[in-house]
Amino acid sequence: MKKGVLIAGTTLATLLLSTGTLLAAGEEVYQIQQGFKLLPAIIFLALLFVYVGVGFISKVSSTSGYWVAGQGIGKFGNGAAIAADWMSAASFMGVAGLLYLKGWFGLGYIIGWTGGYVLLLTLLAAQIRRFGKYTIPEFLGDRYDCHAVRLIAAAVTVIIAITYATAQFKGIGLICGWIFGMDYTASVFFAAGVTLAYLLISGMAGVTRNQQIQYVVLISAFLIPLWILIRKAGGIGILPQLEYGSILSGLMDGKVASGQLSGAELENVRRAYLPWGEGTLYQFLALTFTLMVGTAGLPHIMIRFYTVKNEDVARKSVLWGLFFIGLLYWSSPVYAAMGKFWNPLGGKAVADVIILSAPEKAGMGIAYIGYLAAGAMAAGLSTVAGLLIAGSSALAHDWYATVFKPNCNDRQALFVGRVCTAVLCIIVIIAALNPPALIAQIVAMAFAIAGNTIFPAVVLAVWYSRANKYGALAGMVWGLGMTLLAMAGWIAKVPMFEAEGILPATSSALVVCPLAFLINIVVSNLTQDRVTPESATKMDNILRKLHRMPAAVEEPPAGMSKLNP
Amino acid sequence: MAPKNRLQVNFFNPSTPGMKKEVGIAATILIIWALLSFGIPALIFLAGLGDPTGLGESFLTRARFLGFPLHYWLIAQGCTIGYILLCKLYCVLWDKKITKG
Repeated sequence: MKKGVLIAGTTLATLLLSTGTLLAAGEEVYQIQQGFKLLPAIIFLALLFVYVGVGFISKVSSTSGYWVAGQGIGKFGNGAAIAADWMSAASFMGVAGLLYLKGWFGLGYIIGWTGGYVLLLTLLAAQIRRFGKYTIPEFLGDRYDCHAVRLIAAAVTVIIAITYATAQFKGIGLICGWIFGMDYTASVFFAAGVTLAYLLISGMAGVTRNQQIQYVVLISAFLIPLWILIRKAGGIGILPQLEYGSILSGLMDGKVASGQLSGAELENVRRAYLPWGEGTLYQFLALTFTLMVGTAGLPHIMIRFYTVKNEDVARKSVLWGLFFIGLLYWSSPVYAAMGKFWNPLGGKAVADVIILSAPEKAGMGIAYIGYLAAGAMAAGLSTVAGLLIAGSSALAHDWYATVFKPNCNDRQALFVGRVCTAVLCIIVIIAALNPPALIAQIVAMAFAIAGNTIFPAVVLAVWYSRANKYGALAGMVWGLGMTLLAMAGWIAKVPMFEAEGILPATSSALVVCPLAFLINIVVSNLTQDRVTPESATKMDNILRKLHRMPAAVEEPPAGMSKLNP
Repeated sequence: MAPKNRLQVNFFNPSTPGMKKEVGIAATILIIWALLSFGIPALIFLAGLGDPTGLGESFLTRARFLGFPLHYWLIAQGCTIGYILLCKLYCVLWDKKITKG
């Protein structure tokens, strides 16, 4: 009953607000064509109805259904969900632009964001599944038998969720505004209403099913223009991901659409594609390493392994997830290279619209642009949904149901979960409406935060039995502290923390992460005697479970038993 | 408490036969992963040391593979395809050595 009121209330409120501001709209905010576009709007709305409808069909009534989709998702499905979760509006729109600006150096983002999955698979995926509970803070809190560790992990999860989701909402708002001719405020409320509706109705099961549909929409929208573009650029049009190689080689010799470049222009293009034209080896490795450990440490990605049937599916879904992600990352450089081919010397303005302008360049018409926008919207929505689930589970499950009120029943926990999802969403809406300049910087930092704080704690939790709560606390405080220090230094323009510095803020993990491991190990060894026998037994029981060792004593930690169905 | 009675888990010193197998597979994959992730950029760096402009031009940037400049292909597709194959290899090794063995 409460649930229904909550859903109806929040959805109605956001939708009303969006129509209210719609009437007041009329400012010229967008550079691309103004006004309501019928065909794109129909395509777009149809897909939204599918998302919400799927959410409604797969609605849930239990806590485990809300958080981890009842643990019944298969390897293709979970793989597609991992990929959709992963590919944000930023991946969809931004990576090609990055590659356009940074040339070879920009490839560091691609290997960083794919290589991280190998770490995740080999070190964590199966073990996290064997633990079999709901959230990453819960895993850390139980393994180290310490509420402080749990709360730090929950706080980090929430920080990442809010900032990351805010960036997504900005992108979604722009797309809605473009299709419906609403102003930015109205479109943020509209997008939030849709996201909230299906999140609250369906929980993780609906989100996961939607993410599979959203993956198909976003990847097809992204890939189709490539075949037309490559033909226009002189290719055969069979496999653009291989054919752009010769265009790229031509670029290095100064061959572009308008003819032959020479002099300074040639140098400019050549420089971008030579290895160290845009950054040094250290900067490249620091960037890739940070993105890798960050990817492996992002709570909303790790939480995916709880949603599968068993650890075998957990492993195979990483394989499929990575393949699905690869499809996008093999194609982004094609857009970048074609951008260079037609406009070799464009700056950030060209880079920003490289994807949205592609269908126009290919002459594909307004309907296709609607589909592309729906794809970008799908990318943004699915990521926001995954983030909000991870963030609100950290609040509702790890804070409320574990620390604050361990005796609450399943229904209360589920209700608080929905309230937290709504509250987080409202915070994100407020942040997206009036984005503080800081947000962009924190988003860029999300990988450093996850890689320096969560990743070392989780890996040692699984693979080092002597690691205890003191070590974990010391390591996590170090990781989080150094990341925040580097961010503050970056904002204050301290040379050491800027892109060319010794410890670039957004690539700090090459230095900070290994030290976080070391601190955890050293402090844990120094404090072995301070661990109480009860605590040691609890930790051992969890380790037995993680490594499938015999003689595990089936004794769930205090306060958890109610959640085991 | 007596530390001796506690469970031993250490990635570099696995204590049970099951864990030894798991660690063996993971370590194999991680070594290849490190070679791909850090070895290839290092190779491009070493090859490019001879370039006086410091941009790293070398035989790797002059060579062509499938039409691509080799240094570009190695990172853009070589590494990413490599990662996917590594994940596949991990699943295959696991099925062979742990699920069946």
